[in-house]
Amino acid sequence: METVLSTDKLTKYFGKLCAVNRLDLEVKRGQVFGMLGPNGSGKTTTLGMLMGVTNPTSGNFSWFGEPATNHTRKKIGAVLEHPIFYPYLSGQKNLELNAMIKGADPRNIAKVLDVVELTQRKDHKYKTYSLGMKQRLAIASALVSDPIILILDEPTNGLDPMGIAEIREIIKRIAADGKTIILASHLLDEVQKVCTHFAILRKGNLVHSGPVDDVGKGEETVEVVAYHDDLSHILHEFNGSLSVKSEGGKFQVRMREGFHSVDLNKFLFEKGIVASHILTQKKSLEKQFLEILQEAPAAK
Amino acid sequence: MLHLLKIDLKKLTSYRTFWVVCGLYFSTLAFVTASGMEFLKWLASKGAEFGANININRIPLYHFPDVWQNLVFISGMFKIVLAIMVVISVTNEYQYRTIRQNIIDGMSRLEFLQSKMLTNVLLSLMSVAMVFVIALVTGLIYSPQIEIADIFTDLEFFPAYFLEIFAFLSYALMLGILVQRSGLTIILLLLSHMIEAIIKVNIPDAASFLKDFFPMQSITNLIAMPFARYALQEIQDYVAIGAVLIALAWTFLFNYFAYLRLKKSDI
Repeated sequence: METVLSTDKLTKYFGKLCAVNRLDLEVKRGQVFGMLGPNGSGKTTTLGMLMGVTNPTSGNFSWFGEPATNHTRKKIGAVLEHPIFYPYLSGQKNLELNAMIKGADPRNIAKVLDVVELTQRKDHKYKTYSLGMKQRLAIASALVSDPIILILDEPTNGLDPMGIAEIREIIKRIAADGKTIILASHLLDEVQKVCTHFAILRKGNLVHSGPVDDVGKGEETVEVVAYHDDLSHILHEFNGSLSVKSEGGKFQVRMREGFHSVDLNKFLFEKGIVASHILTQKKSLEKQFLEILQEAPAAK
Repeated sequence: MLHLLKIDLKKLTSYRTFWVVCGLYFSTLAFVTASGMEFLKWLASKGAEFGANININRIPLYHFPDVWQNLVFISGMFKIVLAIMVVISVTNEYQYRTIRQNIIDGMSRLEFLQSKMLTNVLLSLMSVAMVFVIALVTGLIYSPQIEIADIFTDLEFFPAYFLEIFAFLSYALMLGILVQRSGLTIILLLLSHMIEAIIKVNIPDAASFLKDFFPMQSITNLIAMPFARYALQEIQDYVAIGAVLIALAWTFLFNYFAYLRLKKSDI
């Protein structure tokens, strides 16, 4: 698949503080790429460098296999941090300005206003908009040039649950159009719901990257309930179990790789025990995220 | 080029402050430059109270070719108003952080600067056109006899006036980009002449030729004060090439410094 973005040892220092440290990333066409990390982990700094507003201390990056210029940025729709517009201009005029800078067809404006459902308020001044409307206008401005890539930085920050659901729907719809999306967020749930690939940053270091589908692969945890006095002991005997924990009358068995709940069930049955409850738990991104952050060596 | 100018004008033309400040500037300019005779009449009536008899018709304030330098010199004093507008326009971009979005959207930093410079050119040209029309009309009204040759004399004051305005607006733009906050920038702009004067006072007489190389002085030197001629004194009634060269060099440097700052900073 065609590589849309690749970074090579991208580094940014703010004085002595290392905000991004030798970052290597690769995003391919059609991916919905989630950038995860706690606040202050370097997500926005990275995107700022990719969008030409922050000068890298060292390292390189390329869009579409070419060194970046301001013309490559015209093919990218991006909203970093919070929405930025001229407060005294109407939504419509702000978008006209975005379209002029991007060299986009002004006829797109009506279309993108429709996508984000702002057509009714388009002639009102930006400063009269609610936060949700501002976020939606920002997405509209990112879409106005019909970009190949969309970069969204915390697009649901500060929105109410309905606003979050709306934005998520918009992102999914755009992704279904085959656009590549880079989504920075600290909301794991959000990334798991919409992304195909993700990377985790901590203190400017890349600590993990891979497909979202891989989350939950590998070892799994099986929850078991059965009426037997010595269940814990028996579960320990099972050669597929890595560890056994008792939680509220239920046993959590972490399985070795290659073992599944079927094997455990069979094993118990052979021992003459019938489980009344057996449940395979897929690891959530949240769990994996916390594990990765714990395992990763502290950044120097 | 035209595209960049259109972008900057789109930002300004829906901005009420822009219209208010420009409206004030151009109406004040028109009013002051056109009312010189009224001022002389007032002066004469004051003089009469003290028994002095001033015959205002003997002061050829609006006669060709005197009118060109007279009005151009007076108009130059109002450029501070335009400069404040330029400061507001550029510091707004920092305050609203729209400069960041402009660049994310695909402007280069140089293009951003160019769009602001082009607006400066346009404002300067409008000011030149305005002063030219007023001077032409008042000249035609007040000159006792109109000689074509007189009308076409001393027109070099207009390119010099353009440079004066554009140089000062470039200075304002640079200051705005360096300081980024509107209040502080405007204060520095207003104090520029004074700060420069303080430095110049401390220059030893042996090196006094250096004074003409100071930025504010170089802009002032473009058009000499003409009114002393009505007190029968010798004045500089031409544009000095040396002054033009120094002012041109500063204009280039102002814009270049602005560019360097834009290029190097994280926005």
